Amino acid sequence: MHVTPKALREIAATARIGLADDEIESACRDLNLIIDSLEPITRYDLEGVEPTFHPIAGLNNVMREDVEKPGLTQEEALTNAPATQNGQFKIPPILGDNGGDR
Amino acid sequence: MTLSPAEYASLSLGDIRTGLDRRHFSARELAEAAFAAIEALEAGRVEAFLSLTPELALRAADEVDAQLAAGSGVADIGLLAGVPLGFKDNMNLLGSYTTCGSRMLENYESTLNATCVSKALAAGALPMGKLNMDEFAFGSSTETSSFKKTHNPWDLERVPGGSSGGSAAAVASGMLTASLGSDTGGSIRQPASFCGVVGFKPSYGVVSRYGVVAFGSSLDQVGPFARSVADVAALTDAICGYDPLDCTSQDVPASFSASVVAGQSDGIKGMRVGVVSEYLEAPGITTEVVLAFKEALRHVQDLGATIVELELPNAYAALSAYYVIGPCEAFSNLSRFDAVRYGFCVEGATNLTEQYELSRAQGFGLETKRRILLGNYLLSSGVYTTYYYPAQQVRTLITQDYRRAFEQADVLLTPTSPRTAFRFGEVSDPTSMHLSDIFTIPINIAGNGGLNLPVGLGEESGLPVGLQIIGPQFKDGNILRVAAALEATYDIERLAPLSGALSGGAA
Repeated sequence: MHVTPKALREIAATARIGLADDEIESACRDLNLIIDSLEPITRYDLEGVEPTFHPIAGLNNVMREDVEKPGLTQEEALTNAPATQNGQFKIPPILGDNGGDR
Repeated sequence: MTLSPAEYASLSLGDIRTGLDRRHFSARELAEAAFAAIEALEAGRVEAFLSLTPELALRAADEVDAQLAAGSGVADIGLLAGVPLGFKDNMNLLGSYTTCGSRMLENYESTLNATCVSKALAAGALPMGKLNMDEFAFGSSTETSSFKKTHNPWDLERVPGGSSGGSAAAVASGMLTASLGSDTGGSIRQPASFCGVVGFKPSYGVVSRYGVVAFGSSLDQVGPFARSVADVAALTDAICGYDPLDCTSQDVPASFSASVVAGQSDGIKGMRVGVVSEYLEAPGITTEVVLAFKEALRHVQDLGATIVELELPNAYAALSAYYVIGPCEAFSNLSRFDAVRYGFCVEGATNLTEQYELSRAQGFGLETKRRILLGNYLLSSGVYTTYYYPAQQVRTLITQDYRRAFEQADVLLTPTSPRTAFRFGEVSDPTSMHLSDIFTIPINIAGNGGLNLPVGLGEESGLPVGLQIIGPQFKDGNILRVAAALEATYDIERLAPLSGALSGGAA
């Protein structure tokens, strides 16, 4: 087994996805099946083979003039925010007893 | 004179151009006929749309009509003047929601126009609405959409393919003249195959990705659906080109439409057409697909092209490489959904961590969560060196295979999908679903272009079978030339029988 239930809980926590206890088992099974199917990748001797991170070879860095251009206004940027206050994004407490990370 | 929905449904881009020029109909009449066709075929039947944008469409139509009235020729207005066009719902269109088929973005209002959208609008297209898709494009059947199932117009009991299933079904049914989709592993070509229309994924970089919600940034490419090769070429001409807002977009000087004309007038005599025989023994491939493929090869030979046997020794690993690279890139791209700046947010969370975790748990569907978790696992330390890095090395080998193959051939032919459209729920486990993309995925890995050409109905299923035509990277003209020549040898109805309902006949 590639992914144990314990490992899955850790993966889910760092991906910020809350999984219910009854979802763990089936998610584990699905992931392990998919990871089994990745086996061909592990069969290769890849000594000396360069990786391809991007399909277009020889891309050059693109520079532009540092000139001001219109972007989203504050109002537009907040259009889709679930909660706002005083023209800013609003979030639950991050400090104190109720806030913070585990 | 007015245009009936049935007359509208059969129009090509060329017909629209001529009709507007000769004042047989106005752009407003086109838009109205299109909405009447949608009214007749959408609800309870195809269910291809997630939203309609009649105000935007009619305003665009009136602008086209005003320019015509002021003396402009259709060609002056743009390549897509008066063309009723739909967009996959991962493309931002001002004045519409962009949901990506996800509850996460159910109420997301577009704050900009994607470059492919603004180019289509600048070319005179009429924006009709936004089309259903697998959630964030994760899927091959459009079944993972949070909102609805889209039905294949050839058989409403079957899926349209995916992830751009809405885009394919809307064109096949005659509701739209054309649509745009996106393709990360086959999401244009496979649904085009299932729905019997032409779908074209140009080489990576031909069309800007700006404003299209990202899935796999090194794999994603935008492309068109239409009912003829000439139409997808004109659509590509309208939306392609370098965009300062997407640093991977490329200047492509060639005219795609010119390649179609070359294919129609000069043919493909002397062109070298590659095939990989072992593909015809691929897992899950059906007899009817093999038969249709062999028939296509006979047509190619009749047209005077030479068949060249090719080897792609690393192609078998492409599916695995894709299911490493895709989820890893998706994991990274989908980290932006934080329920703070936009997106679904649970009520009453007591702290930020809880708000993140519950909002992402409830906002994302099962397949999306699966891919995020898989990507996170594959990128975790210790695992990275087992899968992610080697997958990128295998990507090099696969790319080299294609480069070598295209030294011997001008195009490569494969079936688009090993089978025709399946029934809802028929393919449920993820690894079997992935198999429907075995012929399309390697092309995204290598970055080449590929096109689905309908080549008739399967002998057994009676459903559309598709041929995939693949070209060397950035030589997409080869693809369109062969597609145009081959298309002329078939007498194929691209409109699904369902469209008969528009003329009052039984569907």
